[in-house]
Amino acid sequence: MTFGLAALHIVTQRKSAKAARARRVFAALRRGRIGKVAIVTVLTAIVFAIDTGTDLEIATPVFYIMVILIAVGMFSRREVIRLAVVCMVLTVFSATLTRTGSQEAGVINSGISIAAIAITTWLALRVVSAESAAYETRAQLIRIARVNSLGELAASIAHEVNQPLSAIATSGNACLRWLGADPPNLDRARLAATRIVEDANRASGIVGRIRQQVRGKGPRKTKTALNAVVLDALALAQGEMARHGTVVRTDLAPDLPMILGDRIQLQQVLGNLILNAIEASAGLPPARRVITLSTGVARGMVHLRVKDEGIGVPEQDLPLLFDAFWTTKDGGTGMGLAICRTIVEAHGGAMNVALPEPCGLEVTVSLPVRAKS
Amino acid sequence: MTDETESHEVPPVVRIIDDDASVRAAVEDLLASVGLEARSYPSTQAFLDSDEPEAPGCLVLDVRMPGQSGLDFQREMTGLGIGLPVIFITGHGDVPMSVRAMKDGAVEFLTKPFDDQALLDAIHDGIGRDRLRRAFECEIAALLARYSTLNAGERAVMALVVKGLLNKQVAGFLEVSEITVKVRRRQVMLKMGATSLPQLVRMYDSIAAQIEDVPALEDAPVR
Repeated sequence: MTFGLAALHIVTQRKSAKAARARRVFAALRRGRIGKVAIVTVLTAIVFAIDTGTDLEIATPVFYIMVILIAVGMFSRREVIRLAVVCMVLTVFSATLTRTGSQEAGVINSGISIAAIAITTWLALRVVSAESAAYETRAQLIRIARVNSLGELAASIAHEVNQPLSAIATSGNACLRWLGADPPNLDRARLAATRIVEDANRASGIVGRIRQQVRGKGPRKTKTALNAVVLDALALAQGEMARHGTVVRTDLAPDLPMILGDRIQLQQVLGNLILNAIEASAGLPPARRVITLSTGVARGMVHLRVKDEGIGVPEQDLPLLFDAFWTTKDGGTGMGLAICRTIVEAHGGAMNVALPEPCGLEVTVSLPVRAKS
Repeated sequence: MTDETESHEVPPVVRIIDDDASVRAAVEDLLASVGLEARSYPSTQAFLDSDEPEAPGCLVLDVRMPGQSGLDFQREMTGLGIGLPVIFITGHGDVPMSVRAMKDGAVEFLTKPFDDQALLDAIHDGIGRDRLRRAFECEIAALLARYSTLNAGERAVMALVVKGLLNKQVAGFLEVSEITVKVRRRQVMLKMGATSLPQLVRMYDSIAAQIEDVPALEDAPVR
């Protein structure tokens, strides 16, 4: 019974261990910052001293590359650029100080060195940013995977919570029977009631842990363009649409205000809505397998509409659509729209459904325009 | 029969196998509240290690457990010589699962959280079935014990008599005198404790499957 939760525990523990390690490393880095500045300064000084003190006809300042390469791993992008500029200035300065030797060679050497420093800086920074982009993408993928596995998680939660619930129901009945005995057995009834309280706490503990897990670190809100999110989600759903022969029509408002949101979570919401629409269109004649995606702005909110031309849902079921575990699909978990709404509401927005004429279902996501602060 | 009355006097014990401690405690307490003795085990292995099979009763078995599943254990029980009737409780039962359980002879298949009365009814039903089974087994054992006191000649006579053969035919087939057959037949009735031929036939029928040294009577005439 504990498979699901055990896995969760391990993940959570690993995560917190990782976070703690990261914090320690970060603190150490901050403590070591003075040391690093010292290393880079000393190296720069040595290169400068050799460069200035010798009149060899070689491009000694090329060794500033070493300083740059070391610094790239330790400092921010801006600081590395500053350091590169300092190195170039020192190169020129050193060239003017070196009076002996061929003037022409000195100029050429300085030119070579400055070019080398500039190119190295540029390449090193590109490598670093590519690495961090890769890291970021991987982190995002992991989060997407986590949200995707929510459906499976829900099944596991159902089992985990069902155990204490079942124990509570049985203990409750036992308690009633002890009380109903003649004479009532109060001690046994009290024991049964105590067990009920313990099991109820256990159940709520399970729910709490799951909620924490699902929530993760909460949305990482950044300035986001909704249209870009729409295009991203469409790109992800491309394969699914092609497989079902679904056509998408987009009507994106050109100058949509930015919103403050977690791009990945919003992408997840949209992906979910698009997949729902694809599934709703699947049984239709090809001409009606059309999904319309539109964005717009009204009353301080950015709106996104996803419309299909499927059979929709019975009107009386509209209010149930966002309920967890309510589903019209065979094998559906009924968690998709519930999770979507949780995400949208965490963004200060709202989700609505309507039955457009003549057919289909239209889901509207409204998100507040980024506050002007 | 004395054995049967004895088995009625031994109080039934309900065995509970569930990996969840609070479910075990709750079910045990529920049974205690109606005066039923229960013993619970966290796994099928723990049950096998320490159960006392003499006590009649039934088995309340969880379907999904780490290690061996309840359904698999049910299938193994016959091979292990455990005849306890099984009542399944499960958190997530589906139709194929319950069909399999019932086909394999389960008394009941309950989904958690279950109705307490439904569980108690099933348990009483299971205990009843176990008593019948044990009584039947006692009876068979007693008959076999009596049968074992018969000598080879008497067994041969019995096997032919219950087929409806006359003394004369039995004598002819066994190539002994009719007197001998009559003497042996009286001995058979006496030793088996049968007061009439139909009763002897019923006795023979219920132990026939367990008689190992059936006299070779393939070509005996059937009346």
